[in-house]
Amino acid sequence: MIKKRVFLIILSLVFSAFLSSQLRIEIKGGLEDPINIAIVPFQWNLKTPQQESIQRVVQSDLESFGEYAVLSPENMLSLPSRAEEVFFKDWRILGSDFLVIGEVNSLEEPTEMLVNYLIFDVVRERIIHRGKVIGPIVTQRKMAHKISDKIYSKTQGIPGIFSTKIAYIDKPSDLNPVYNLMISDIDGFDSLSLFSSPQPLMSPSWSSDMKKIAYVSFEEGSSRIYIQELATAERIGLKQEEGINSSPNWSPDGKKMSAVLSKSGNPDIHIYDFKQSRWIQLTNHFGIDTEPDWSPDSNKLIFTSNRSGSPQIYELNVKSKKVKRLTFEGSYNARARYLPNGKEIVFVHRRNGIFHIATQNIKTGKIKILTDTTLDESPTVSPNGNVVIYATKDGEKDILAGVTIDGRTKFTMPSMKGEAREPSWSPLID
Amino acid sequence: MNTTHKTLLTMLVFLIASCSSVSTDRTNDATAISASASGAYSDNGLTSNNILYFAYDRSDINSEGRAKIRTLAKLIKDNDLSVRVEGHCDERGTREYNLALGEQRAKTVAELLIINGVSSNKISTVSYGEEKPAVSGSNENSWSKNRRALVKTF
Repeated sequence: MIKKRVFLIILSLVFSAFLSSQLRIEIKGGLEDPINIAIVPFQWNLKTPQQESIQRVVQSDLESFGEYAVLSPENMLSLPSRAEEVFFKDWRILGSDFLVIGEVNSLEEPTEMLVNYLIFDVVRERIIHRGKVIGPIVTQRKMAHKISDKIYSKTQGIPGIFSTKIAYIDKPSDLNPVYNLMISDIDGFDSLSLFSSPQPLMSPSWSSDMKKIAYVSFEEGSSRIYIQELATAERIGLKQEEGINSSPNWSPDGKKMSAVLSKSGNPDIHIYDFKQSRWIQLTNHFGIDTEPDWSPDSNKLIFTSNRSGSPQIYELNVKSKKVKRLTFEGSYNARARYLPNGKEIVFVHRRNGIFHIATQNIKTGKIKILTDTTLDESPTVSPNGNVVIYATKDGEKDILAGVTIDGRTKFTMPSMKGEAREPSWSPLID
Repeated sequence: MNTTHKTLLTMLVFLIASCSSVSTDRTNDATAISASASGAYSDNGLTSNNILYFAYDRSDINSEGRAKIRTLAKLIKDNDLSVRVEGHCDERGTREYNLALGEQRAKTVAELLIINGVSSNKISTVSYGEEKPAVSGSNENSWSKNRRALVKTF
């Protein structure tokens, strides 16, 4: 029984080494006191041979941000797949706080599979969650991510983000002389080009139902905002105005889009009303107003403005049009994004000539610098508010990097092909 | 174990079991579809490409640049040319802010051309921000070459 499992583990390791991905995660740092968890390789009861390992994907997910120490299967004293096979002593000895076991069974439909799993609190010796995932066998990675999400939410109390996606722009290379709008799983797998063009692409922004992405394309010679539907690749270009048409940003309620137009003579924040099919101007200042982001309740917008002489972050009440300045430290603060709690912002902050990613509490004004890389830009926040991914440089190469919001874990995601910039984290889906 | 004990034990098991949660998730193999553009934009009919440079974070032109623009304006008027001014930035700072800075640079040059007699309906401006650098490299030598406006005549 154990020998068969070991063989399957080795087989799945060999297979996963061959799978290609375009973003890899390399981690440094991590919590001093991570959660100790054991994920037992799930019992595979299908006739079709196992090509993926759910255990490997879940382990990789949970290790992503330094929050968990996952027990290696070779250190396990037993390999239960059912509740009655669990001896809590076997797991307490190894220091595990939590245990996950499971099995994979067939369904009537031969292309589908059913995964049953249990999450145990080892110390209290009880089941804290019974889960099922059903789906096509080819979606095993997705199923594993759903299990990771459930483990994460049951042990951390906030949603997991392992089923979310990252959109980003891939820069042209000698081999591939086009710009690509890419989407990828957070672990780098299943990356796909949604749109490619010989002219620049910028500023991808997800709709809150994850069905569409808005972005800026220069394919017609100057900037224009496009909305593309992921399932069909249908594209709509929003009415192109004189000058800059850029920085699209969907409202969380899905009803509007904020953007930047300079048709009035200088860049101002506008809203596109989908019902009326027209642009509504929100700011009216002779300086540069750009980079809007909606508050979680869709009532406010933060944006970058140089109206005081250099770029700073301002907050606009959409109804009253009242503008309030938020940042006062440093001479360059730009490209802010709200955290999901609406109480803090993450933004680009220049200090001593170096561009860092920093957070600021809106009420207290307290700034915290998160990164020790330089030339940082385009921060994007995970929908559970725990992780920030941003663009930076590794020598001459454009790469994506990340940091947990407490600053403790830092990681890089160097692209295997091309160079990545302008990451945009998708919303959570049910 | 008598019946009362058994009942109590069963109730206890249910109680403990009910402290755990239950879920069912479903996955599907839906995937996104790709599209592409061929890129209609081109430099067909280009007669000259002239470059002006800028200081970091600035969009003003120095006296050398102004002299260059005066000469260009004459060439454009004499030959009844069309002009496209492209504004560019170095990689530092945020992309969208740089798109705006690039536009300021292009507009500054366009305004100077107009002051020197070029008809405004012959001039178009566009900003590429930091998206189309002339040279790569994260040092002042490269950055200074990327902070530029291109005056293209057709």
